[in-house]
Amino acid sequence: MPEKLVLRARGVVKGRAEGYALVADATLSFWGEVDPVSGRVIGRGHPLEGQSLAGRVLVIRSTRGSSATPMVLNLAALEGVAPAAFVNVEVDSLAALGAIVNRIPMVTDLERDPFETIRTGDYVIVDASAGILEVRRDEPQDSGGG
Amino acid sequence: MELTAEQRAILEGARGPYLAQCLRWLVEWGEVMGARRLVRCDNTHVLLCVPNLVARGASARTLETFAEGLREACRHPVAPHCVATVHTLFVTLDSLQVPENNPDQVRVQREIADMAVRAGYLTTFTCAPYLVGNVPIKGEICAWTESSAVVYANSILGARTVRHGNESAIAASLLGVVPEFGVLLDENRRGTLRVEVRAELRHPTDWGALGYFTGKIAGLGIPVFDGVRRPSQDEAKQLCAALATSGGVSMFHIVGVTPEAPTLEAAFGGRTPRENVIFTEADLRVTYDSLRTATGDEVDAVIIGCPHASLREISRVARRLEGRRVAGGVRLWINAARATRCAADAMGLTAIIEAAGGRILCDTCPTNMRIPCRRLVTDGFKQAHYARGMTGAEVIVADTEACLRAAVTGRWTGDA
Repeated sequence: MPEKLVLRARGVVKGRAEGYALVADATLSFWGEVDPVSGRVIGRGHPLEGQSLAGRVLVIRSTRGSSATPMVLNLAALEGVAPAAFVNVEVDSLAALGAIVNRIPMVTDLERDPFETIRTGDYVIVDASAGILEVRRDEPQDSGGG
Repeated sequence: MELTAEQRAILEGARGPYLAQCLRWLVEWGEVMGARRLVRCDNTHVLLCVPNLVARGASARTLETFAEGLREACRHPVAPHCVATVHTLFVTLDSLQVPENNPDQVRVQREIADMAVRAGYLTTFTCAPYLVGNVPIKGEICAWTESSAVVYANSILGARTVRHGNESAIAASLLGVVPEFGVLLDENRRGTLRVEVRAELRHPTDWGALGYFTGKIAGLGIPVFDGVRRPSQDEAKQLCAALATSGGVSMFHIVGVTPEAPTLEAAFGGRTPRENVIFTEADLRVTYDSLRTATGDEVDAVIIGCPHASLREISRVARRLEGRRVAGGVRLWINAARATRCAADAMGLTAIIEAAGGRILCDTCPTNMRIPCRRLVTDGFKQAHYARGMTGAEVIVADTEACLRAAVTGRWTGDA
């Protein structure tokens, strides 16, 4: 039986999505640090450098920086390589806008420290409308997002 | 969120599906960010750029869908009371023979630019709208994209704008309203950390270093700079751009300069800062070193004008280059808004720069275009920061004088 954990969170952008978690206690700028064609992080020295965001539940501190964030998310969504959902500690207004426009669920204020609770490769179901996060471990591990 | 009867009617489609969608974006965004109402907005700065992803393998369908979104935006007129200027592009509309100025992309961009003019946009194509006529007045509510310009509008001009994305800024242009949250409200404009400046700031790039250092610490907060002189416009431009690069800063205060900060107490709104930071000569040096990744002296690109150069900056560059030549194998770019270059043309400055082998690049910048280079010297912290990831270049950030020396000699020979 897989280990299952149900956590409360605050829904920021409503909706439901699921996927394998990609976790880093870091900020990320979609402009200049994410390639919208491959969906990979290209920021030099970023903890997620080389990882693909496609279909992943992205667990990071917040997004940062440029007003082109929603545009990069939009292009990634059109290419089919956008993240499935955001689990953020701080809500950056530009990521929130990008999530609204592209219908990507976003939650914050998880009842436990997300970086101690969720590991890269956990299978996560984000129900931002209900404010619930389900974390499953021992599911088949993702090969790394290719 | 409280909506007027007219706004509810727009949501229900009274002005067509596109404006209904635009208002839905603003309302949903406002609700997420805690806004309780929409307020009138008279001033926007929007993104209408066609992305340069052909060479990187984006599908034709993605690019066409995105371009069609821009066309749809430009089929609707800008609200009559709204000044709407336009951000930089990923191409130049001038003739420029580099593979990155993709002719198909330029064609679509021209089509959208023409549609934008007919819709009422002022196609400035610049990251520094405040240099070319979009100068909001204190208290004016704006919807600006370009995070460095947002910082300038809030902190130097005393106007009010949160950091906008393309959809929200277009929606604000057409509907003339924005959700009221963030630095639109007095209580969110107060300082959160104090930065005591003990280093001597000698030129605009030093102000960029102060911004790059502070942005990392401030995150989404509001720094208050204490102990600094009044910056020039060019210095303020560098400070704003660097703050918005290393951090998510929307606003800062300089005591005695920011319209809302006549005193330190006023800057903090009577509250105690949650953090005190000191910026020393050593911090200044370390900040420069953090964006000096060059492993050798030979230079093949020099970029001035991030954010877009002012007329004064172009004039200074022209005076320095008079009678000199840019070294073989080096590209010297001076990025500027087209309006600024038109003035430089009339003053004979463009001719001097071109005779020396430099080029004033309009509508965009080499990093936006992703023109590759191996080793880049620039006077902008923002340019250096993004060029590393976007073009893979080794970078050196230095003041304008040192940049021009590198352009003429083809080598990096140090600051002095």
